[in-house]
Amino acid sequence: MNNKLNIYLFTIPALLVLCIFFIYPISLSLQMSFTDFTGVGIGNDVGLKNYERIFSRSRYLDAITITFAFAFIVVVVQNLIGLFFATALFRLPRIRNFSRAALFTPAMMSFVIVGYVWQFIYSPYSGGLNAMLVSIGLESFQRPWLGDPSTALFAITAAHIWMFVGYSCAIFLAGYANIPTDIQEASRLDGASSWQRFCHIEFPLLAPSITINIVLATIGTLKTFELPFIMTGGGPAGATRTLSLEIMTNLFGRYKFGFASALSIVMLIVIVVVVTLMNKYLRNRENNT
Amino acid sequence: MSISMNKSSSGSPKGNGMKFTGKTVFSASANVFVLFLVIAMLIPVAYMIMMSFRTGSEIAQDPLGFPTSLYFGNYINAMDKMNYFRSVVNSLGITLSVTALVSLLGSMAAYPLARRTNGFSKAVIMLVSLGLATPNFVNITPIYIIFRDLGLLDSYVGIIIVFTALNLPLSIFFYTGFISSVPKELEEAARLDNCSNWQIYWHVIRPLLGSATATLSLFVMLMVWNDFIYPLLLLTDESKFTVMISVYRFVGNRSIEPDMLFPAAVLGSLPLLILFGFFQRRILSGVTAGAVK
Repeated sequence: MNNKLNIYLFTIPALLVLCIFFIYPISLSLQMSFTDFTGVGIGNDVGLKNYERIFSRSRYLDAITITFAFAFIVVVVQNLIGLFFATALFRLPRIRNFSRAALFTPAMMSFVIVGYVWQFIYSPYSGGLNAMLVSIGLESFQRPWLGDPSTALFAITAAHIWMFVGYSCAIFLAGYANIPTDIQEASRLDGASSWQRFCHIEFPLLAPSITINIVLATIGTLKTFELPFIMTGGGPAGATRTLSLEIMTNLFGRYKFGFASALSIVMLIVIVVVVTLMNKYLRNRENNT
Repeated sequence: MSISMNKSSSGSPKGNGMKFTGKTVFSASANVFVLFLVIAMLIPVAYMIMMSFRTGSEIAQDPLGFPTSLYFGNYINAMDKMNYFRSVVNSLGITLSVTALVSLLGSMAAYPLARRTNGFSKAVIMLVSLGLATPNFVNITPIYIIFRDLGLLDSYVGIIIVFTALNLPLSIFFYTGFISSVPKELEEAARLDNCSNWQIYWHVIRPLLGSATATLSLFVMLMVWNDFIYPLLLLTDESKFTVMISVYRFVGNRSIEPDMLFPAAVLGSLPLLILFGFFQRRILSGVTAGAVK
């Protein structure tokens, strides 16, 4: 029997599913992005008009900027806090397992629920945050957090960061577990302080988990949809209107399938380019340290 | 943070003793401090649970107050209006079907990928990683149209197919890693007995995959339970809603009523939080196993 050949047949069912529900839709998306298809009949070929519109109207350029701002804030802050907790917990074995699980708990919740709960925390009507500010004597800091264009985006990033700090922390702790114990021992015997050990030994050796955390958080945030959708719907005054929100409103409200497809192709290209460059840079950095 | 060990062991016994007490005191306060921060991170979860037992007017009067009694009226109302049990059954049924499909298709595809390294397997792995990184948004428009034309909108079959396709890349990765760590000797013995590849997969490899399948099913569950976009896109018939869509339809988007929002939020997340309580090790190791490579 030609056993060598037929082992590849095992991949066929999975490949079929991937082709029909992944490759084919992407090609369809690309094709539709050059039309004004509205879901019925056949769309007219409009060439690059959809793309021209995206890159010439400030509405869409703003959405891209807001998406990047959201991603940047979350990636930086979430990973710094995650790294802080992992570094602390690595030194505190007694509370490590409990804390790792406790911090991870919000990541088990759905975006929809996290969005609703935080929306109410930020609410100007009997919301938890303003009430807390009053109770500690900081009345002057009260504001409608999600209704104020200058704070709305930050308020949403805070909810996202809260949700995924435990995820970053768990990955960093796994990175810590991969640091050989003899290196740790040696530096300790050399009298390096906790801070010195972190800077010179642990941080460089954590490079692979830094790469993973940054890449995962970037992919996760550039496509962010549920939190702004639930918490603000893109408002106030478009301050939280991300690219994904723009895609959904064009789909559902207006049935602009062609234009929505062009937006999603732009999103795909942005994510692929950013993640590829990032991966390249971070992997190089790993090899040089 | 904790204090480092003393440089050498040459200090006097008394000196060492003092260092020792100094270290434990400092370390205890570090434990308390970090534990305090960790618990502070859980405040929103506690807030959600506390508020779910209070009436709307109680919350309006005293936004941070503790519940004075265990008032279940909110829950009874929410369960009833959300059609909670129906949507839980829907989510569980979809999870089971997707897990079955994804574990069969994924482990089958993973078997050759784990055992042969060549151009073909590299190309498949490339395709799979692309599938993992591609955002849903690239596919939702065409998938909506394809499903509409196939008559799969508003059907269990449609939503099961979508979740299967979404989870398949993860499952292929998972099983490829797992099968690579299975020793080849078992297979070689079977091969000497003239077993076909299919017999080897079915009788030698597949029975070993239980633990990987268990972890995978937790991730499928997490996704089916929590995903919002595809059910929102594909389901309009209330009797087929998954839990998150029920929560969304119940709480709504305009004026948020706390006595509806909080019980719905607890009902929507409690089952997964309990699941996490039981399987936290498996879930956390699954999260980090995929990541640290």
